[in-house]
Amino acid sequence: MTLGADVGIFLVSIAAGVVGALAGVGGGILIVPALTLLFGIDIRLAIGASIVSVIATSSGAAAAYVRDRLTDMRVGMFLELATTTGAVVGALLAAIVAPGLLYILLGMVLLGSAGMQVVRLGEEVPPDVEPSGLAARLRLVSSYPDARLGREVPYAARRVPLGFALMWGAGVVSGLLGIGSGALKVVAMDGAMRLPMKVSSATSNFMIGVTAAASAGIYLARGDVDPTLVAPVALGVLAGATLGARLLPRLSNRHVRWVFLPVLVVIGIQTLLRGLGVGL
Amino acid sequence: MSSRRPPVRLTPDQFRAVVSAVLRIGVVTAAVLTGAGFAMSLLVGWEGSLTGAPPATADPTDFSQLVAGLLALRPIAFAQAGLLVLLATPVLRVATSVVGFWLEADRLYVAITALVLAILLASIFLVR
Repeated sequence: MTLGADVGIFLVSIAAGVVGALAGVGGGILIVPALTLLFGIDIRLAIGASIVSVIATSSGAAAAYVRDRLTDMRVGMFLELATTTGAVVGALLAAIVAPGLLYILLGMVLLGSAGMQVVRLGEEVPPDVEPSGLAARLRLVSSYPDARLGREVPYAARRVPLGFALMWGAGVVSGLLGIGSGALKVVAMDGAMRLPMKVSSATSNFMIGVTAAASAGIYLARGDVDPTLVAPVALGVLAGATLGARLLPRLSNRHVRWVFLPVLVVIGIQTLLRGLGVGL
Repeated sequence: MSSRRPPVRLTPDQFRAVVSAVLRIGVVTAAVLTGAGFAMSLLVGWEGSLTGAPPATADPTDFSQLVAGLLALRPIAFAQAGLLVLLATPVLRVATSVVGFWLEADRLYVAITALVLAILLASIFLVR
């Protein structure tokens, strides 16, 4: 790798870190196509690097989000129960399920949820509701300080069983396909559980590192993670995620939706294409 | 739920500060090690050594020479160490949360988080 290529990868990784931190995803959507198409890197090593970028985005951004009370740690830990058990089931199913069909299915789910995101583009905070008994027992009722609105915004998780089931599905998908599935996590928290958008994004960011760490061992053992390639990626993503995490509190929930929607569409199309055999 | 609650020894704000600090320390350590490795690679190349040891012949994805490589000031070993610290950070964060919920006297979330930690460790070390 030349120094020029390293600088290029570093700059792309900064962008991936910023977008990932804002949208609650791992930045693989930028890293994988940039590494393969712009820098001619083998798809296997590009995916290995993107797993590392997911962890870098997650830890880099969550350090700020946890402190700023944007991440809901109880929602995150409760739903990690779903994603980690789902991931184990997914890893066990990997030998018997054809990934092609699954990518196509997941792509359609993501594009379908993009349609539902359009409806909510103008929504700043979800409507007030009485917390369900289950949400209250699990303490999934809280508030976050909104620097943009200049007030504390209360919220309560709705449709907890549906959210848990969607997260379990996201975990199965992660285990089967080895992806962080941050987009699906944001959709589950924002769309199903109706948490505020910034809380959904920040909590997804908090969670995706754990999902990725669970499968990172497999990638390391396979030799898919090349530290000489990962070095500029990790440094760039960490810088970008730190920057993005400073930006998020100042944005409105509507702004975050405008960042998330195109990300969701691009991930949906990439996933569909991968299912049709076009690696991006 | 037991009616006799353990005493609260950690406020939610303190809990958040600790988790945030664990993430930050992990990320900064990883960045310093990786950055040092990268800077050193500009001087002697990824296979080189600042102590003048003969060039490494091992595959960069082979982590078995990590300690020897660090002692020989090999750029690749620093990049590998940075990578491992980065990968360990989310696991450490979950482990910290188990203790945090315990000190916050939230037994339900101690159980949830401990279960997540167990599944996470199992999937890292057992699933192949």
